[in-house]
Amino acid sequence: MPETPAAASAAEELTAPPIAPVQVSPWSSLLAMMRWSLASIGAMLPLIVVVQAALAAGIVIGFGFLIPDITPESALFLSSGAPTILLLTVGLVIVPQGVARARASGALDYQRALPVSRPLLLLVDLVVWSLIALPGLVIGLLVAWLRYDLSFSFDWPLLVLVPMLVTTMATAVGFAIAVTLPAMLAQLVSQVLVFFVLLFSPITFPASQLPEWFQTVHRFLPIQPAAELLRAGIASADFTAQGRDLVVLSLWTAVGLLISTRALVRRG
Amino acid sequence: MDDDVLRITGLRRCFGRVVANDDISLGVRSGEVLGLLGHNGAGKTTLVSQVVGLLKPDAGHLRVAGVDAVRDPAAARRHVALQPQSQTPIDGLTPRAAIEISGRLRGLSSRDARAAATALAEELDLGPWLDRRALPEGGGLSGGIRRLTGFAMAVAAPTPLLILDEPTNDIDASRRRLLWDAVRRRGDLGSGVLLVTHNVSEAERIVDELVVLDRGRVVAQGSPARLRGTQDSDLRLELQLPPRGEDPSDLDPALPVRRRVRTGRRTLLIVDAASADVAVAWAASQHAQDRIDGFSLAPATLEDAYLALTARPDTADSDDTADPADHKGPADEQLVRTAPIREESDHA
Repeated sequence: MPETPAAASAAEELTAPPIAPVQVSPWSSLLAMMRWSLASIGAMLPLIVVVQAALAAGIVIGFGFLIPDITPESALFLSSGAPTILLLTVGLVIVPQGVARARASGALDYQRALPVSRPLLLLVDLVVWSLIALPGLVIGLLVAWLRYDLSFSFDWPLLVLVPMLVTTMATAVGFAIAVTLPAMLAQLVSQVLVFFVLLFSPITFPASQLPEWFQTVHRFLPIQPAAELLRAGIASADFTAQGRDLVVLSLWTAVGLLISTRALVRRG
Repeated sequence: MDDDVLRITGLRRCFGRVVANDDISLGVRSGEVLGLLGHNGAGKTTLVSQVVGLLKPDAGHLRVAGVDAVRDPAAARRHVALQPQSQTPIDGLTPRAAIEISGRLRGLSSRDARAAATALAEELDLGPWLDRRALPEGGGLSGGIRRLTGFAMAVAAPTPLLILDEPTNDIDASRRRLLWDAVRRRGDLGSGVLLVTHNVSEAERIVDELVVLDRGRVVAQGSPARLRGTQDSDLRLELQLPPRGEDPSDLDPALPVRRRVRTGRRTLLIVDAASADVAVAWAASQHAQDRIDGFSLAPATLEDAYLALTARPDTADSDDTADPADHKGPADEQLVRTAPIREESDHA
């Protein structure tokens, strides 16, 4: 006697094999999470890229107004520092504000409950914000070249590696701020950091203009090493970086990654 | 063979001096829909957060599909899909893209993820919104469609353990029905489903087992029929009391009541169908004497039993004995206290 469809379906259910756990390659997870992250920035994405580029150009042109009769040396110093400001602003300001919002809305916990490796959430932010920040770096240099008729001497290995390291450091530290401090405080700290990076850090002016004690502070912060490394990549004929800069920057990157990863993995 | 996809034993979690989960034990088998009921603050979401590795238990054991979720939460999470109580973060995405991404994250190929989005849109009647983008601050899609999308994301791919935390919030009546059917279907296809809900009456249709939490403790567990603790023919006589009025059913020995629960100005009386005419005549006479503002008679529901189980023990009258539920272990004491057959409680 032929089996009815209902009976066949019931038999199938009775013998249904157990459902397997999720098996996804990290690469597929990364791509899916990046698609999600980019979509959540959404319509703002082109605007953010444009604003970043405008900020880069603005620093090069605007800071130039502060210096009357700017010399080619000063122009080169200023222009080779602008990309550092840009990368630090993205990582230390925009990233923590976004993460603080995600924490407050429950979006971060939603993603932490997904069957993906939690450090991947940090990696997604690193990649996405690097992609957003890099066009600004190029535009900043282009504007400097047009405005001051500068010629750069690129050190390509440094120019490729240092922006990645600076973005990683800034994003990791920014992420660490956002996952460690209460949301309101994280937003406040990120606002303060904008001023600190723009006005009180030897990026667009030499460290020798700061009081001696403040120079010492900056020797242990990651901002000056980031600026000097990137400067050496952009104008290698005029500036050199020291190994110590790389060590300090790498240490801050490691600490930022460690705190962020621990906060993502840790259970409350 | 142990076919539990979730086994919780002696789970305890505190926040400071507040005990959010106190010695909770329960299990969900493959193919079973377990309803987890409880008032706000009963400890339901705390429990769920421990299963998915957002919170760490202070004591107890958690096994998800055989994996020790306390020691290896990352491995356990690969067996779980969660729809959280809060809205799923889909701003910037269309429901179609959100379901596809979720499917990809749960191991579907691009093609299967696309097919899953189409099939779920059909199943949940999401079609008209499938390609409409969710915008920040609640724009683009209504709360109900966002909630349905969150559900669809959780079920985009088959999963051993599906956890749904208040999945029907904000959803209109017709789609709620589709959603309940979809939940039942996931159970029938082999997932173990842990369903956290306030919606006792609707959940009753689709759950196999129920666990009632009250202030962090399991106060009852069993099938809906056992938990209801009444015959299918039992009726509920609801009395609306006047402001500051006495409950006239309180002292009337002639009234054949199986269970009584008072909530504010309402008293719910469970009566045998055979005694319905006596009960209605009594209520009509009370109404005629202005002792009650009104009354209604309807079939007894699980919700009545649930209200009895979660009534405040400090005001409960525990002079009666029978117990509607299959209660277990350390929850017994509280269950007897909170769910006697003639129970009275004055909680507002």
